[in-house]
Amino acid sequence: MLDAQTREILRDATDRARRRGIQASLLLHRERSHLLRLGNSSVSLNTTETLTRLKARVVDGCREATHTSLRELTSAQDALDTLEITVAKVREAPAREFEPILERVEEGVAQTGQYDPALAELDGTSKTEGYARIMRDIGPTPTYSGAWSSGATETYLISTATDDEAYHRCTDSQFSLVLKHPTQEWELRTDQSGWRVVDFSAERAVADIMRVLPVYQQREGIKVEPGTYTVLFGPQAMAEILGMALWTGFHGRMYEEKQGWTSHNAMGDTVFGANITVTDDPGDPDTFRYAFDLGGTKRRRYPLVERGCIAGLMYDIETAAKYKRPLTGHTTQTTSVVMDGGHGPDDALAAVVDRERVLWIPALHYMHVPSMAKGLFTGSSRFSAVVVERGKIVAPLFSSRVTESFQNLFNNLAVLAAERVSVNLSDTYGRRAPVAWSIPRYAVAEGVHITDSADSF
Amino acid sequence: MCDTERVQREAQEGLSWVMEQGAAYADVRVHLDDTAESLVMYDGNLEQNETLSQQGLGVRVLWGGAWGFCGTSDLRRVHDCFARSLGNARTAAALVAIPLEMGEMPGHRSTYQSPVQVDPFSLPLNERIDLLRGLDARLREDWIQRRIVMATTQKKTVQFWNSEGTCIEKRLTNVFGTVMIMAPDKDGQMQRRSHNLYTRGSGTRGWEMITDRELFGNHVDRVKQELADLLPADVLAHGRRSVILLPGQAWLQVHETIGHPLELDRILGYELSYAGGSLVTPGDIGTLRYGSERLNVSSFGNIENSPGSFGFDDDGTPERDYLLIDRGILVNVLSSRAMVNEVNHVAGRTVVKESGGAARATTFYRTPLERMTNVNILPGTDGTVEDIVAATVDGIIVDTPTSWSIGSNREHFHFGCEIAWEVKDGRRTRVLRNPTYQGHTIEFYNALDAVGDASSWRVEQVENCGKGEPNQIMQLGHGVPVVRFDNVLSGEKG
Repeated sequence: MLDAQTREILRDATDRARRRGIQASLLLHRERSHLLRLGNSSVSLNTTETLTRLKARVVDGCREATHTSLRELTSAQDALDTLEITVAKVREAPAREFEPILERVEEGVAQTGQYDPALAELDGTSKTEGYARIMRDIGPTPTYSGAWSSGATETYLISTATDDEAYHRCTDSQFSLVLKHPTQEWELRTDQSGWRVVDFSAERAVADIMRVLPVYQQREGIKVEPGTYTVLFGPQAMAEILGMALWTGFHGRMYEEKQGWTSHNAMGDTVFGANITVTDDPGDPDTFRYAFDLGGTKRRRYPLVERGCIAGLMYDIETAAKYKRPLTGHTTQTTSVVMDGGHGPDDALAAVVDRERVLWIPALHYMHVPSMAKGLFTGSSRFSAVVVERGKIVAPLFSSRVTESFQNLFNNLAVLAAERVSVNLSDTYGRRAPVAWSIPRYAVAEGVHITDSADSF
Repeated sequence: MCDTERVQREAQEGLSWVMEQGAAYADVRVHLDDTAESLVMYDGNLEQNETLSQQGLGVRVLWGGAWGFCGTSDLRRVHDCFARSLGNARTAAALVAIPLEMGEMPGHRSTYQSPVQVDPFSLPLNERIDLLRGLDARLREDWIQRRIVMATTQKKTVQFWNSEGTCIEKRLTNVFGTVMIMAPDKDGQMQRRSHNLYTRGSGTRGWEMITDRELFGNHVDRVKQELADLLPADVLAHGRRSVILLPGQAWLQVHETIGHPLELDRILGYELSYAGGSLVTPGDIGTLRYGSERLNVSSFGNIENSPGSFGFDDDGTPERDYLLIDRGILVNVLSSRAMVNEVNHVAGRTVVKESGGAARATTFYRTPLERMTNVNILPGTDGTVEDIVAATVDGIIVDTPTSWSIGSNREHFHFGCEIAWEVKDGRRTRVLRNPTYQGHTIEFYNALDAVGDASSWRVEQVENCGKGEPNQIMQLGHGVPVVRFDNVLSGEKG
């Protein structure tokens, strides 16, 4: 649980607000983050951040305001100051046409199951040793880059709506390694995700790189012409595509306002192939699990796509208020999306042994959505992409652009790996926000449009 | 609350202490007054009414050729922050291939303040909200389904000290604004049209910017008319044609395919695991034909009222106005002090003489890295927008990004825009919807065949450029005129 002094400060501030008839919530976010960055085979940055944020939100009828203080919380007065600033703001705010929903902790919870003290204390020494070992095992020729971010995060939510408190403490780790050849200029990458120190394995990083390193060392890159191809997508690429598809098609705001590609569909409509089932499952161990969202709603297993049909939309607290929809537990960046696997073999190459030529694209760079209404996305291959013929890797693939619709892609996934893997989608813009999804190890997509290609990696 | 004098004293003590421990360089940034506000009026409802105030310090130590950094929001622990930063640097120094060096820079005492007439935070909140409500009322029409008016204001005081004796205080103010409307087109697909607050490059940059009708409010009627024109319009057909970028689109083209690839950390490979690399190599500096003779690109540009103008960077280097591309030839890059020696070593000759003053950190808990300042295409001699249209046989004019997807080394790109106008035989003939265009960076800029004069040049403000690990958001500017490129692949098949 949160340390007693801070908890007391926040409970006291909430009680005072309640006594004054103020509807308010307080959200504390505390992080101790560490990141070691590798560039040109050197540690280019070794950084530690210790940050405390207190966000107050006040609702007064149809008026609303929030204020966040990023500074150390040392006394009850600090919390009261944050609250008072917010109260003053809400007095000046104009009334909305709809009543905002105040955060309400639905059920008291203290969730600490994904907290590893060893990872919380992991510092640059261990990370430097990890990178050094990998570099020794692979050899000196390429230059090495990467980043290894880890941290411990506490989230505490309380509001005047109930007496309950929601507390979450976790650790998370995101490891990446990039190899670049100084003259051939190819780039290879491997990633790892987890919440424990033992989730990292230098051996696994080396093995992943060695899977494609020989062909990159021995073969020239291939430029493919624009056209349709069978593409073997890796889990990072699938997670990125799925993320964009959900953002533009399954967020309540996009749907209600007819901005997204599902706008003309109804619940239960078939939008994807029957082999596609997607669930937000905060109990899945491959993901970073959050039992509540930042509106205080208990997060439950929530189907989004069931056998290709729309099963649910995600509503944040603002959209739910505006369109008078039930809260779904999606006032959060930290979803636990699980895409069901299929029946494909563990070995991705074995899944395409009967196909003449396949482009294996593990990750897409800088995806975007030229048309949300049409579900059109575009992004280019990056890192470790190869051409596969009859189940054998034959050559590296130059940077190639995929421009495709979500509907075409998810209706033409011929093979899905049975095994799922954890894909880390965290970011550290502002506060630390651990996110990991569980995605099939690979997916074979037929008829994917390659619309441009470079003659370089 | 914080004791300002104590923090300043302990920061000085910390700098002395880490240097006594053998550090080659150290600096500290203290933010005591750092506030931002975001107001979003969505369909007439104030859906976002948020403020953020932050306090803290960040300490950077160079030891054994490697950086250590520590940032904290706990101003009681200044000495701990220095100790942690030094410890991080010592650990990092265990794995160093090319030691980083800061070079030498004489210490100086300086101040900088954004030119401001009206401090946005000096106004009552309801006065700021009233501006949004007024604009929202003007956007309201039965056929418009979504109306969004946004204003973001930032104000911060940054105190910087380094081990060379430099002491800088910066007071920075930014104001951003956007109006956007949406309505369904003839196929039932939502279209949008928007306008972002821009500047002419000179003047002040307080709240008076957003109340300047020429820069913001007067565009409401234009935006409404253009959205109305979009709804019955045909979709842009796939094909090759001339593409004319208005400044509202040209800024992002410059940002993604000139600004980012010319950041020296990307060129040297320090961003490979996140933002990506660059099509430029150190040896290209001074020799690469990046674009046609018409392409002249500067950094900073002596623009006084842009988010990319900040007086001194977070290495303590004064902003510098210099050319990045001179008549099509790449002549310089965006650099910080610690990268200069390395790029010259890799190139085998002096390709960068001094820091370009581009080391910027988003706030106290992030470390500085190469960032754009104002990266500008200089005005050309091809006349006004209409002059360039009149000289175009077969093309489109495009404005305002809806999507942007760029290759990891910025070697190729794909952009979507809000609106296009067809140009046939020197005349705008009709509006087209869902415009996209794509290309390969070097080929594209070498096909630059018209650059508008100063009448079309304006500074577009960028509120949220993301880069770096840990992730950072930065504010900057782009001064751009109208530009035309020949034989560009545009529109989508099918």
